[in-house]
Amino acid sequence: MADITFEGVTKIFADNIRAVDDLSLHVADGEFMVLVGPSGCGKTTALRMLAGLEDITSGSLSIGGTVVNNVLPKDRDVAMVFQNYALYPHMTVAQNMGFALKIRGYSKSEIAKKVSEAAAILHLSEYLERRPRALSGGQRQRVAMGRAIVRSPQAFLMDEPLSNLDAQLRVEMRLEIARIQRLLGVATVYVTHDQIEAMTMGDRVAVMRGGKLQQCDTPQDLYDHPHNEFVAGFMGSPPMNLLRARLDATNGPSIEFGTQRVAIPTSYSSSHTLPSGDGPGVIFGIRPEDVQVVEAGDHAGTLTTKVERREALGAEILVHLSLVNAAGTSTLVVDDDGAVVTRPTTMVAKMGPRSGVAVGDHLRVRFNPDRFHFFDAAGGDSLRKS
Amino acid sequence: MSTIRVPTTSSRWLTLKRRRQIAGVIFALPAIALVVCFIGVPVGQDVYYSFTQWDGQTATWIGLSTWSQAIHNPNLWTALRNNGLLLLSVPFALGLPLCIAVLLHQRVAGWRIFRTIYFLPTAISWVVLGLVAERFFAYQGTLNSIIHALGFSHFSTNMLGYQSEALVALGITFIFTMVGTNTMLFLTGLATLDPTLEEAARIDGAGPWRIFRSITLPHLSRFIQLAFVMTVIALFSALFSLIFVLTGGGPGYATTTVEYLIYETGFNQGDFGTAALYGLILFVITGIVGVVQLRLIGSNE
Repeated sequence: MADITFEGVTKIFADNIRAVDDLSLHVADGEFMVLVGPSGCGKTTALRMLAGLEDITSGSLSIGGTVVNNVLPKDRDVAMVFQNYALYPHMTVAQNMGFALKIRGYSKSEIAKKVSEAAAILHLSEYLERRPRALSGGQRQRVAMGRAIVRSPQAFLMDEPLSNLDAQLRVEMRLEIARIQRLLGVATVYVTHDQIEAMTMGDRVAVMRGGKLQQCDTPQDLYDHPHNEFVAGFMGSPPMNLLRARLDATNGPSIEFGTQRVAIPTSYSSSHTLPSGDGPGVIFGIRPEDVQVVEAGDHAGTLTTKVERREALGAEILVHLSLVNAAGTSTLVVDDDGAVVTRPTTMVAKMGPRSGVAVGDHLRVRFNPDRFHFFDAAGGDSLRKS
Repeated sequence: MSTIRVPTTSSRWLTLKRRRQIAGVIFALPAIALVVCFIGVPVGQDVYYSFTQWDGQTATWIGLSTWSQAIHNPNLWTALRNNGLLLLSVPFALGLPLCIAVLLHQRVAGWRIFRTIYFLPTAISWVVLGLVAERFFAYQGTLNSIIHALGFSHFSTNMLGYQSEALVALGITFIFTMVGTNTMLFLTGLATLDPTLEEAARIDGAGPWRIFRSITLPHLSRFIQLAFVMTVIALFSALFSLIFVLTGGGPGYATTTVEYLIYETGFNQGDFGTAALYGLILFVITGIVGVVQLRLIGSNE
């Protein structure tokens, strides 16, 4: 067992494509680290460098304190679970799981013992003599896990292991993998593009974009205090509402959406570096669950909105709202790698399933005053003081 | 509004299952007819003529005497022995392309050019290949020029001229003609190998040789079996043009195979009855090879 350290690791492919750019990350022994990001963000390349399947352009990568930049995959003592499982088709489940042990010269009885132990953990005991093709998707996934755990390696590397499973099985295996990882206490690097997997499985989550590490934190910190607009928009489903707004200082600090305004609680001026002076733009962020509908009465600090769309999910309704009289309504523009460049002044709110809201209704909403987020309008960085 | 047709007596007899069976037979009929016309009838004729003395025009029934004559003809046994010895070239006709394909699959520098070079002979007529080989092995040919140039003049050979060596030259030429096809077949097989399997094996601790043995070779087994069948069948039934150009079956009968013997007996000696019998023998041999091979492939999975 060991810890893993990326120090300024960079990978440049032919054609000068910078897949991973100056990645520094430490995975503690026994930690479950999730690398998450949109496709092409460099997360899989980072994992493959750790496995030794890609060489490292610059920087240093160490496992258990030993720099492994030039160590062959077979000598790194890491186990990897592939997206397509990569089970050896002509070998039985038992042979698949015992292959690494056989190469390492274990005796037949030792191999059989370790394989049957791992099979018991994974509920695979009755399938040991089958070939992979005679297994279901979920069982194959378990065999791939089994192949990794029989070796008792220094680290587990998992490359989107659940993406080929159906939704229900994915939820099941999510819990299963997390359980096994806790049971064995082996440092794990888990790559996914699914932010729900990232949130539910990781001790810590590293969000990547365009080869660069955006933020690495516990799931809750990532959700509560995203370092930039990208992380805010990537984590959470539906994502955080990000609204382009103007700060107005004339009548006490407030945010201006066209003709409507919301006062900023005074605590934010000490916790955040808000632009001073009159009129500079910011990106204001608010999570859908922090957009609260005001039924009647007190209208202070509320915004008038119109219901554009409603999506009933059973347990809740997602309501898409547009600000009434908001000037300069812009359309959604999305960057190449999925990051939102500009957003319209619409937002999503979560409402109870029995609220009889209909498209076209006018609603008064209030933002939870403890949950405001501010991002730099130019760079997208959080304005929160660290 | 649509109405459902009440089944009449005839359509009650025509159940869905029966209709499918009838359709199956109808669709298979043209293929069956072709097989009977072009394989069944000629084989039947061949069996018939093997009991006759036939000069190409009149066939006289002589019963089993063709058979007893043939069995006592040493040339048939020589030809069979030559075919047997040529089987020794099969491992090379498979092994060499396997090595080439694995190397090309590693994307060695210039692999596209090499691929073309290795495949090119496949597009050339075996008659031409035979002529090239003849020039290569001839006493004043390329092989001896090379031996001279290297300064080993006392090793110079005349492979096509000696009974003991001509068959080796034929075997080498045969390997050469099969390299292109088999290399392509193995390259196709390698292209269907999931590269993550190799990566998984590398992480599992396997070196290049272990990966070849435990991952690549099992994956290629079906392709190797196919190449084996094709190579053996070619050896028995497609060598004629090579032999004709290269040695004409000689010296003596040193490079005469059963296939060449059929031509020799029928067209040179005008004994079509015996030739028909040899054809029958060749048919049985290739048939056995095919059936054994199908059994092997079938028993595998």
